[in-house]
Amino acid sequence: MAEVEKKEVAAATPPWKPKPRPIVRLGIVLISHSLLVSVVCCTAGVVALFLLPMLAKNTYISENALMPGSASSMLSNDDISEAERLAKDLTSLNSGAADAGIERRRVLAKYLSDLGVEVGYHKFEPHQNQFHPLHFFSSPDSGLSRENGSCSSYGINVVGIIRAPQADGKEAIVLVTPFNFRKNSSSEALSISIGYAVFSLLSRVTWLAKDIIWLVADSQYGEYASVASWLRDYHIPVFSASSSHNADSCFEGNNINLLREESLDRTEISSGFRRAGTMAAALVLKVTDVKGQLEDTLSVYAEASNGQMPNLDLINVVNYLAVHRQGLRVKVEKFLSVLRWEWIWVLGDTLNFIGKVAGSLNPEWKFGISTPDYVEGTATLANSLYRQALGIPTGPHGAFRDFQVDAITLEISPKVVYTNQGRRNEFILRSARLIEGVVRSVNNLLEKFHQSFFLYLLTSPAKFVSVGVYMIGFALLVAPLPLVAASLYVDANKPDPSSQGPKHKLQINFKPWKWLSAAKQVFTVHAWGVFVSLLPYFISQIPNSTPAAHSIIWFSLSTFGLLVLYLITKSHSKPQKGEWENLKSVTISVVFIGLLLMSVVNFATAQIGALVLVPACLLAQPLKLDIRDASLKSFLRIACNVFISFVAFPPVGFFVLKGVNEGFGDMDVGEFWTWLESLWAWNSATYIYIGMVHLPCWVLCLHILLHSC
Amino acid sequence: MPTANTEEENSKSELQKNHGGGGGFTRWAVVAVIFRLALIYFPGNLNLSSRPEVSTPLTSIRRLAEGYWLKQSSMSPYAGSMYHGSPLLLSVLGPLTVKSRTILTDSVAHCRIEGQPSHILCSLVFVLADLISSILIRATGRKLQIAYRKSLKSLNLLNKSTDSGALSSGDIAALVYLWNPFTIVACVGLSTSPVENLFTILTLYGAATGLAPLAAFGWVMATHLSLYPAILIIPVILLLGYGPDAPPSKLFRSKEHGKVGDGKSSQEIIFSWRRVFHLLVWTSLWSVYVLVLCSISVKQHGSLQEMFQRTYGFILTVEDLSPNIGVLWYFFAEVFDFFRDFFLIVFHSNILFMILPLAIRLKHRPCFLAFVYIAISSMLKSYPSVGDSALYLGLLGLFLDELADMQFSFFLFCGYVGVSLLSPVMHNLWIWRGTGNANFYYATAMAYACFQIVLVVESVSSMLNHDRKLTKLSTSKLQK
Repeated sequence: MAEVEKKEVAAATPPWKPKPRPIVRLGIVLISHSLLVSVVCCTAGVVALFLLPMLAKNTYISENALMPGSASSMLSNDDISEAERLAKDLTSLNSGAADAGIERRRVLAKYLSDLGVEVGYHKFEPHQNQFHPLHFFSSPDSGLSRENGSCSSYGINVVGIIRAPQADGKEAIVLVTPFNFRKNSSSEALSISIGYAVFSLLSRVTWLAKDIIWLVADSQYGEYASVASWLRDYHIPVFSASSSHNADSCFEGNNINLLREESLDRTEISSGFRRAGTMAAALVLKVTDVKGQLEDTLSVYAEASNGQMPNLDLINVVNYLAVHRQGLRVKVEKFLSVLRWEWIWVLGDTLNFIGKVAGSLNPEWKFGISTPDYVEGTATLANSLYRQALGIPTGPHGAFRDFQVDAITLEISPKVVYTNQGRRNEFILRSARLIEGVVRSVNNLLEKFHQSFFLYLLTSPAKFVSVGVYMIGFALLVAPLPLVAASLYVDANKPDPSSQGPKHKLQINFKPWKWLSAAKQVFTVHAWGVFVSLLPYFISQIPNSTPAAHSIIWFSLSTFGLLVLYLITKSHSKPQKGEWENLKSVTISVVFIGLLLMSVVNFATAQIGALVLVPACLLAQPLKLDIRDASLKSFLRIACNVFISFVAFPPVGFFVLKGVNEGFGDMDVGEFWTWLESLWAWNSATYIYIGMVHLPCWVLCLHILLHSC
Repeated sequence: MPTANTEEENSKSELQKNHGGGGGFTRWAVVAVIFRLALIYFPGNLNLSSRPEVSTPLTSIRRLAEGYWLKQSSMSPYAGSMYHGSPLLLSVLGPLTVKSRTILTDSVAHCRIEGQPSHILCSLVFVLADLISSILIRATGRKLQIAYRKSLKSLNLLNKSTDSGALSSGDIAALVYLWNPFTIVACVGLSTSPVENLFTILTLYGAATGLAPLAAFGWVMATHLSLYPAILIIPVILLLGYGPDAPPSKLFRSKEHGKVGDGKSSQEIIFSWRRVFHLLVWTSLWSVYVLVLCSISVKQHGSLQEMFQRTYGFILTVEDLSPNIGVLWYFFAEVFDFFRDFFLIVFHSNILFMILPLAIRLKHRPCFLAFVYIAISSMLKSYPSVGDSALYLGLLGLFLDELADMQFSFFLFCGYVGVSLLSPVMHNLWIWRGTGNANFYYATAMAYACFQIVLVVESVSSMLNHDRKLTKLSTSKLQK
């Protein structure tokens, strides 16, 4: 290596010049061997990604103050039977009746006010998610237009607040149970019983240091919308007179007044919006019926918008209490299709074997992992990556993360639908004790959750990969980009010995600024990318059309735009030497910046994007050159290039992934539109990434491939 | 990325149609103004005026509006540590902030609740300031280029290729200034830095054209508004004394020696003390004038002493530690209180230490010296914003001919683009999401400072290389 280095330095610098500094020399060596370095780094990056399930650590509770499970549960059967009475009252109401919803709310409010807690109604209008392309850079509230919606559709949440007897009321813990007041559902009633059991206990205890808010979210317009609008009203008070006037006009003739007047004790139900302190944590509780389970399970959902996760400690506490105290089976979502892939099993076997061999060589090397564990971990990790990359929250807890509140959704599913009251009570008892334990732990907190990780990927409920580990793989993957960009740039701008001008004339040559024309091309394509990403906003306004029609209009308009751009900027001059190298160099730099940015915004998107874009950019080379060359290597490169640029086209990539997961049976062009629409409706940064980084870079790669050099 | 490329894109397009001349500049300038107006009327949801990159405690229009409000309600505008700008700015811009509110009652009433008053009139002033600045830069560039040609001619170095290449560095510099995303953001984001930049540029223009009163006025106003341009007095004196940038004077002298026989009158470069004296007189006159105006303005509710304390004192003692793109806030947030004064002195003298060596080395190129001073002070000042970077990036274009073979231009470009995109993301991660912390944001600030250092070092070294090249060429010519 030292020999090579010396040669390299000798070649790079004229002999009379002083030796450059070591760091410069290192840079020169790396740049001159960029091919080798990039192959090694990319391979290492991909390998590191597949090693992540092995490198996952066991979770541990980082915050000492939490002390989960140190206190014994105080929940008694009286609470349960009271909760069951409430559930019965709620379910016994005739669901067909028009005012069943009002009646249920009244019953619930009466039960709550009987506990002696503050009760309030919160009325909201569910509004459509709108397209805010720049939402990510702004605060959560900005750009949110408070439109005056119609009064016809609205929902009413019921909110109960327990004031902590000996606290200053500056902090609160939130419990959320989604409940459709219009419908009769046994599982939702079960979740109400669990919530009520905990709430009634908490209204009596003396150890509360934080207020407890129980939000029974009206889920008739979706669980997320109700929670999100409650949170918005909680955090962003409305002062303008016009909106309150509007609200009043809406109340007029509506049955919320009816509701209020009919309630037994009017003084106990507050008319204004009730608040407690800042939220320390929030738990969303749901009960679902899933058939064919061996035991009661608890599913944890944590992903909020743009791949944000709650503090790992919250998941740890839930996991610890559920497993070690209540004997529930905890699981996180995983890709079931991964379990069917043969090669993952083979890979797992191989890693297992390597681990065993290493263990026999030195017993201290304990990195082996059993094959099923590895495959399960990979499936969970894949799902974790996918969910974070989508940037769409996996449940109502996502709304909390927008206000920096740590929240998770706990979905409890009983083994069977309980008909026996005793078994049912026991199930409620276990679930309620879990919630009580978590509340008690969070209640102990002195500060916000800050000890444990915010940036992690889960490979099982009790195992995680932290940012420090998964970033290594990503860094290895993108490290070749600047190197290759630099080496291409150096190649393209080598002083040309033939065209040396006369020595005695002052020549101002703008050679070092040659990259500007490449930068201009790259900029133009990116401007086109912005145009393409804004188009759906206008296309979606077209009434009465199917997603398929939308996507076809979109596709044709984008192509048209690209053609127009091409015709405008087309240069008639002969391609210069080093033109495509410069273009590729700038493209690669842009990809590098884009991936780096995205890895900060949403790591998972950047990781998945890098897997596609990095090889595509690094391999891109004019096909003409390769065809002229006509060697095995160049044919291989042509094949790779054609394949990658085919797959990297976003719609194709989407359908290929979908096909791999669900089979290539029925494909609809509209599906891609629907998928993207969901992305932009949820303000996912992934949408911006696809439109402004991935697509332009793909076009640029194609441009390089078809370059006439 | 897209906006960040605009600047280069335009300078590039200018490079290509280098015969475009004045028409090209006017067209692009008009487009730039329209672009700004469109952005102002279409504010989007970026909240530019509350971004830490754009508005500092010194330049924020919201603070100015607050100061004006305090003044209207018969209080000192400096009460409550909200406003730290000049009282003159308050008198000029303050009424505009209020007027726009009454004009657009309905829409503004809605906006004001969100804490975002819309100041249409103010932004028109800033757009105008930007436009005037670019015109001044262009005129300065013309002046510099003429001087450059003249000195090359006198050294017999001017050949056809340099002569016919009619790409005017002044045009490019002006367009770079107008289309620089930093300038646009500072203008649309309603910070007062366009006005400050205008006075700095006015100083340079006045000095380059030899108008001592104008230069003095610009310098006094710029110093009054933001203190740091005070160090520009050295380049201004050099500019007025020696005239615009030229190759090292010893080159001319050696030329004289070489051609001693031909009897031509020596083209000695004389330091013109008369102009400098004019400058000093005018400076003192303008200073007195500005001080009198200020004292009239603050007389009712305060004193000049309070004004100095709240403006210059605020700048020098780094009282406000809210995050910005500079490097001082984090340091002074961390430093122990009893070391604070010491480090204040260290950091501020950092700028002062560099003044003298640079002045000695670059005394034959006073305009470039001014650029270097501005770049250094915008890097080390206590409340930097992107508006300051916009100024020196615009001035960089003036030296296009000299810096043509600057190294690392591509690297620097990528760095600036990357950092300016990464910094808001890190800020969001820290402030809004809570998953990052101050170090994340400060890291981008340090990276930004590094890129600025690289830019300054590279530009200075390539300028010196250029001088060396000139020397080599002229000596080889003499020996022939």
